[in-house]
Amino acid sequence: MAATKTTFTRDAGLQTRMLITMFLLGALYVAFVGVLFAAGVQGFMILLIAGGFAALQFFASDKLALHAMGAREVTPQEAPELHAMIERLCIQADLPKPKIAVAYTEMPNAFAIGKSQKSATVCATTGIMKMLSPAELEGVMAHELAHVKNRDVMIMTISSFFASVAAMILQFGFLFGGGHGDDDEGPGFLVIILASVVVYVLSFLLMMALSRYREFSADRGAALTTGRPSALASALRKISSGMDRIPQQDLRVSNEMSAFFIASPKKFIGGLFSTHPPMEKRIEQLMRLEGELQGGTLTAA
Amino acid sequence: MGFLDAILGGKKKLKAPPAADRLFAMSTAYVTLSTGHGIETKGVAAIVFQPLATADFEAIVAEMEELLAGTGADTGTTITTSEDSHGYRWIILHDDDIEDLVVGINAVSDALMVGGYGDRVLAAVFAFKDNKSRRVYFIYNYKRGHWYPFVPASGTQSRDGERELQVKAMIGGELPIEPELERWFPLWGIPI
Repeated sequence: MAATKTTFTRDAGLQTRMLITMFLLGALYVAFVGVLFAAGVQGFMILLIAGGFAALQFFASDKLALHAMGAREVTPQEAPELHAMIERLCIQADLPKPKIAVAYTEMPNAFAIGKSQKSATVCATTGIMKMLSPAELEGVMAHELAHVKNRDVMIMTISSFFASVAAMILQFGFLFGGGHGDDDEGPGFLVIILASVVVYVLSFLLMMALSRYREFSADRGAALTTGRPSALASALRKISSGMDRIPQQDLRVSNEMSAFFIASPKKFIGGLFSTHPPMEKRIEQLMRLEGELQGGTLTAA
Repeated sequence: MGFLDAILGGKKKLKAPPAADRLFAMSTAYVTLSTGHGIETKGVAAIVFQPLATADFEAIVAEMEELLAGTGADTGTTITTSEDSHGYRWIILHDDDIEDLVVGINAVSDALMVGGYGDRVLAAVFAFKDNKSRRVYFIYNYKRGHWYPFVPASGTQSRDGERELQVKAMIGGELPIEPELERWFPLWGIPI
């Protein structure tokens, strides 16, 4: 226990925004559950079924995600450089070594999945390994490890649970509620549907915001682990310009998982709706960190 | 709260690193290794860290190297440096006396920590060979304050796990050994 903790500093502003977002999301969900219960048996049933699905998804998500990406776990013999790089980053970030996978696609990207720090998997595509220099790739992998360290997969899974419940109600709600000539249930069910719409829209916005904050946080964590903010910034620039030239074929598969990618594979859809902050903002933050590093402003603010 | 407070620990309020005696435990443990188990020092140890591309950092490293060269005149320790393919820098100390090696390694990590760059240190590595001339390394993880043995085997990135566990059993009581086996991170391409 005498060991020092890794100093993953917190950006106080970022932390506050993140907390507020999580609080709002929590409050929204509490209200939603309230409505579901008020609606009686049906609401309860829906919650149960959705819970079952979510649990299934949570426990199978690693394999599903890797499979969807066409990724495969690689041994140290198959990818010695990648393994060695990640092992060193793990020492620096004080993390156990995750499983390492490679996805065979030209799309330059990387992601981390896994329920806990011990069961995490980080994955890089062959495209990103070809495109980036070792230092840049190191920045990207450190970013993914920061996601693992911050338990982002868990947080995003939990925070998306009620959004999926709402979505489910909207999709299948009429099967439960409608059309059996059971007039008594009509008004109650209308309330559930309306609440679901509201919850879905609001939680979606909040989740996107949360995801963006966590990206900033992972970028910062990566810079702290490697001591080279500029390498990550340079990687982000390469990835964002490379992404435009890559055919879109893979992207539909990737959409669902985009919250866990280093860079969002989606086309720009507008600030509020994206899981990732704009590249310029992220690069700006990294350049600010590099500035502090170069300036040696140890005691500043 | 500035970035460097974190990345570099801040000049004044750097948290105490794992007590230095955990590193120094090697000098006494070595007696057991050498007399009891035929594992002898190769007369070389190294510390590996991420060099930062800043003037301040380079100045601290240069200063520290100068200092080591100065004390080396008394102890007979010589130093060399090299960079590896991962962009990490190795400061390598040569001295047949293991105690001088431990003191030297501690001086390097100390200088980095005092400079506020303790977080950049990856590990210290001590090189040994057993009575069949096989390499045995002991790696000290500064962040956790733990040691672990590392025995590379022939072949790409393969290690002799059995031998590592044997070595651990030989020395377990005298060195603070990393309890979680999944944190026995290998270091490939050790230049010593």
